[in-house]
Order: sequence, then structure tokens, then C-alpha cells
Amino acid sequence: MYTQLLPVLLVLSVAVVFAAVFLGLSYWLGPRRPDPLKETTYECGIPPRGTVQIRFFVRFFLVALMFLLFDLEAVLLYPWVLLYGDFLSAGQAAFALGEISVFLAVVVVGLVYVWKKGGLEWQ
Amino acid sequence: MEITLTHYLVLATLLFLTGMLGFIVRRNAIVMLMCIELMLCAANIVLAAFSRWHLDLGGHVFVLMSFAVAAAEAAIGLAILVEIYRRRRTVNVDELTTLME
Amino acid sequence: MLETLQVNIPSWSDLGYWRPELTLLSTFLVALIGDLIVRGRRPWVPFTLALAGMLLALGFAVADLGEPAHTVMGSLIIVDGIASFFRILFLVAGLATVLFSWTSEEIMGVKREAKGEYYALLTLLTGGMCVMAEARDILMLFLSMELVGLTSYVLAGYMRTSLRSTEAAVKYVIFAAVSSGIMLYGLSLFYGLTGETTFVGIREALFANPPHPYALLVVVVLVLVGMGYKIAAVPFHHWAPDVYEGAPTPVTAIFSVGPKAAGFALMIRFFYTTLVAGPEAAGTSNLLRLVDWPLLIALLSAVTMTYGNLVALRQTNVKRMLAYSSIAHVGYILMGFLLLTSDGLQAILFYLLVYMLMNLGAFLFVVAINNHLRSEELTDYAGLGFRAPWLATMMFVFLISLTGLPPTAGFIGKFFLFKAVLAQEWYWLAILAGLNSVISLFYYMRVTKAMFFTEPAESDGAAAPLAIKPLEYVVLAALCIPTIGLGIWWGPVRDFADQAIARFNVGI
Repeated sequence: MYTQLLPVLLVLSVAVVFAAVFLGLSYWLGPRRPDPLKETTYECGIPPRGTVQIRFFVRFFLVALMFLLFDLEAVLLYPWVLLYGDFLSAGQAAFALGEISVFLAVVVVGLVYVWKKGGLEWQ
Repeated sequence: MEITLTHYLVLATLLFLTGMLGFIVRRNAIVMLMCIELMLCAANIVLAAFSRWHLDLGGHVFVLMSFAVAAAEAAIGLAILVEIYRRRRTVNVDELTTLME
Repeated sequence: MLETLQVNIPSWSDLGYWRPELTLLSTFLVALIGDLIVRGRRPWVPFTLALAGMLLALGFAVADLGEPAHTVMGSLIIVDGIASFFRILFLVAGLATVLFSWTSEEIMGVKREAKGEYYALLTLLTGGMCVMAEARDILMLFLSMELVGLTSYVLAGYMRTSLRSTEAAVKYVIFAAVSSGIMLYGLSLFYGLTGETTFVGIREALFANPPHPYALLVVVVLVLVGMGYKIAAVPFHHWAPDVYEGAPTPVTAIFSVGPKAAGFALMIRFFYTTLVAGPEAAGTSNLLRLVDWPLLIALLSAVTMTYGNLVALRQTNVKRMLAYSSIAHVGYILMGFLLLTSDGLQAILFYLLVYMLMNLGAFLFVVAINNHLRSEELTDYAGLGFRAPWLATMMFVFLISLTGLPPTAGFIGKFFLFKAVLAQEWYWLAILAGLNSVISLFYYMRVTKAMFFTEPAESDGAAAPLAIKPLEYVVLAALCIPTIGLGIWWGPVRDFADQAIARFNVGI
């Protein structure tokens, strides 16, 4: 049952041992002469400033939320696509098209609303 | 080793309990919302697993719908949290005590 | 390989049975766009649209009362007696709230923004509640609950600049999200146990192949958490007092009746369909014994009413007191669920209708007073009986009805509930409910005492009569007259509930 996974285990253990040995070697053999400049964070060569935990501008939240919502509305089209064939064979294609148009119209109303309310402006 | 229904259910239960525990232990509203997402995720795994088990697509459709709902809930939740952060400078639920007795 | 989805192919003609909901949903979109066109400067545009939409929907709902049960959208939605009953209840509550919001300073005050969206959201909330009463599939159950939930969060936090309102919204979102997560987990396990998503399919699978009692118990309890949260039953009530106090008062008014009644509608349809085959078949199901349903509900009911009443006793804020009193009323209504019989169902429907009238009235009175006094504290209610005699008298009627004293509708509603409990010989529960009614008398009468028997404080203008707007009189009177009327002549409404039960469809 587990035999087919044996190569994977082997690769994993080799990787772990290999990494551990070389990290250990460099720790043991490597010279360490720290000075303040070496201990600073490396930031593309320019002196670092500020802290790591900066607060994001709130607009990013808004853009992310908009993206999330409109992105997931696209997901809801998949079941419709899957079922469209059934509707077609039942002679109800117009109904299926009509329904999805209503759905898209509601999404468009949402988009227009966001747009007019300034949700897409950066300022 | 074959992955069976039981594995999915155990995974879902663990996820659900993790979410539940996190919700009870953590006091940061955003982390609490994230824990709730874990719980929804657990339910989605159960639905998808049983959908395959019963050979019925209903569960799959349910998963897609609950994705969309979870996103909407997260969006409204975050929007409200941003609003309260502006007024309070905190999202710790223990400090929201204006309405307590 | 997965088989293709078995669908009941829907068609245009189905939608004819769904006119009220379609009207409400399109009113929401039109009001939103209308508000954009007038750039939010003319709030009467969305107000008029919402009002017209609700009236039209009410017209459709009344016209469709006699229609036979019919499914809409494939197998997801059913329009039957119960759905028609609740549709009318929600639309009346929605209409009263829309009208009263127009007078409310909290909503229409000069500094408020986005007044138009408020009316659009109220329409959507009403539409969502109607769908909750019609869901016959766990997918639609979840979606409709979330629709109502998402709209409610926004409405609760509608006063963006108010600390109390935003805090209410945060608490609402967090508690609602966690309980809907728990419920979704329960629903997914229901699907797992049966492989079906429709309520009817679930019942058939459960009857044909009863699961292990503990498995069913766990699943039922998980689903009850979600619904218990929606109706604010103890121990899932933590959000209710804070949200009710923090939200704008007109919103609180509709929260205390609308989503709550919608939660009960869902419970009725879900449990009467899945655990028993309709109210007439309650005795034949052994699933109820399997999960010890009567004891579960009796405990939930007893804890809810006792907790609500005891905590309400020591409130000094009228809005918060009414919030706890509404929790107590959930406890009374839950008594009707004991054995899922038709007696119980009749009592629940009647009580929900009565509760809608009296509780909405009491909260709208708080709105009216808040417009003038900017306060909901009991001490500020002193002398209102002289400053606004008609309004205070109507509040008195609502309060005695909430207590359950004759000759009001509340008495008749409680009478039916007690009768249903006694018929099942659950004496301790009936006695406890009786004691609770006595406790509730104390805090309801405290408001009356403050209004009629306490002198207002001696300060500038504190004793002057209030300038009540005509609209406030009209809406409150429209709720007050049936509150007394139903206490004297309840036959028609009882028949209305009976018809709803007779056309309650648990098959198709």
C-alpha cells in the first residue's frame, strides 16, 4: 500500500539530510564577525526605513473587495454553462438565456453603482 | 493508501474545530472572520466529498454558491470593520463595549 | 463518473407565481438606480419607489392567496399556504417600517447620508424574508438566510457616524457569520446523510433509511443553531440586545419581527417537512423520538423565555428592554414546536401575526418618542401620558398585549399556545410560561407607570406637549386597532391561519 510512496519518502529524506548537513557545516566552519552595518536589513542597497508592519492604505481593501465580489460572480456562471445543454434539449434555451441575462443585469447594476459612488476612483 | 470519504470528513471536522476554536480564543475581529471562513471551508469540503460519494452534482453547485456567499459576507464584514476601525482605532471585540450593560 | 444533474426544468410560467418577490427585487434595483440618478439629493424618490413596490407586491400577494401550491425555479422554491401567509405578514411589516422611517430623525436627519439606499435595502430585506418562507431546498434555505443576513448587517450599521450603530453591525456580522457557518456544516451533513438537497427528498431518505440517532441529533442541533440565531433563542441570542439597541430604531423594529418571523417560517417548513410528513402526520414519525425533539424544544423554549424576562426586568433603556422582551416571546412561540402538530402550527402562525402587530407598534412608538426626545431611557419617558396622550395610550395597548392580558390580541395568541402545550400534557412548561407572563407584567407596567404616573422633570420645555406628526398617528393606529380588534374578534385571522395550514404543502 505504501510501497509506491517510498521513492517520494526517499527524495524527501535526502533533501532534508542534505540541507541540514550543509547548513550545519556553514554554521560550524564559517567565520562570523558581525558589525552594525551587516546586521541591518538588506533593502536593494538603500538604507532601510520604517518598520515591516506598515498599515496598508484603506483603498487597497476596497479594490480587493470589489475584485473578490466580481470575480466570484463569474464562478456562478459555471453551473449555468453546464446545464445549458439540458435546457437546449428541453426546448427552454430562451428561458435559460433570459435568466442568465437577468443575473448579469443585476451584476451590471452593482458595477454601475460602485462606479457612480466613486468606488473605483483612487482619490 | 486510498483516500476515502472518511479522510475528507476527518479533514473537514479538524478544519471546522480549528475554526471554532480560533473563533472562541481570538479577540481580533478580522482573525475571527478568518476563522469563520475556515468553518465555511470545512462545510464545503463535506459537501464536495458527499457530492462525489452520492454521485450527485447538487453538492457541487452548493459549494459554488456558498463560495459566493462567503465572499459577500467577508466583503461586508471587512467594510464594517474598516468603518469601526476609523472610529475606534481598534478591532478587538473585547473593547467594543458601548452597548454592554 | 458523475451523473448529470437531475433538474426539474423551470420555465417562464413558473415565475407568474412569484410576482410579489419579483416586484420587490426589481423595486430594489430601480430604487438603487433612481437614487443614483437623483444623486441621493431627493430621498423621496427611492422612498416613493419602495412604497409603491411594496404596495404592488402586497396586492399580488393578496391576489395569489387562493392559488394552489406551485414550485418556482425548478425545485428550489415553493409557493403554498405557509408562504402566502408569511408573505403578507412580511409585506405589512415592511410597509409599516418604510412609512415610519420617513418620519424618523435617525434615518432622515439632516446629517444623514445615503437615505435612498436605506429604502432600497428595506425592500430587499422584505424580499429576502419572503424567499425564506418559500425555500424548499437546503441550498435556497442557506441563500435566502444569507440574503436577509447581509442586508441586515448593512441596515444595522446604517448610521455610519454613530459608534453604537457601527458596533451593532460588527457584533451582528460576527455572530451571524459564525452561526451560519455552523448551520452550513449541519446542512452539509444532512446532505451527506441523505444525498438529497430538497426537504422532501431528505425526508424520504431519512424515513427509508433512518440514520444512527446520534448522527441525526448532531445534525439537527447544528441546523438548530443557525435557525436559533435567526430567531434569537437563548443560547444563540448574544447578538440580539446589542444589535437591537445599537441599530437605528426603525431598523430594530423590523429586525424584531421580520427576520425573526422568517426564521420561524424556515423552521416550520424545514422541520415539518423533514422530520414529519406535514402537520397531520406528526404522530406517525419516529424520527422525533429518535432525536428526542420535544425535550430539545421544551428546554430551548424554557431557557429562552425565562432568560429574556429576567434580564428585561432590570433594563433602564426601553429599546433594550423590548429587545429582551422579544427574546422572551421567542420562548413562548417555541412552545408551539413541541411535537410538530397542526395545533402547534396554528398557534405559532396566529401568535406570529399578533406579535408582528404589537411588537412593531411598541418599537415604532420608541421611534416616535426618539424623534422628539432623542432618548430611549425610561426616566425620560416620565409624563409622556400627558405630553402625547394618544401615542402613550396606544403604547399602553401594545404593552398589555405583549403581556398577554385580555382584551387584546396577545391574550388570544398566548391562549392558543398554552392550549397546544396542555394538549400535549407538558404541564411544567405551561406553568413556567404562565409564571413568565407574570414576570413580564412588571417590566411592561414600569413603562406605563413612567408614562402616566410620573411627573416629568422640571426643566425647560420638558412638560410641553410633543408635536406628533400625522403619519406617526396613522401608522401606530393602523397597528393598534387590530391589536385590540383581534382580542375581541379573532375568527377571521384564525381561519386565515387554518387555510394556510390546510394548503401547507410538504410534498411535490
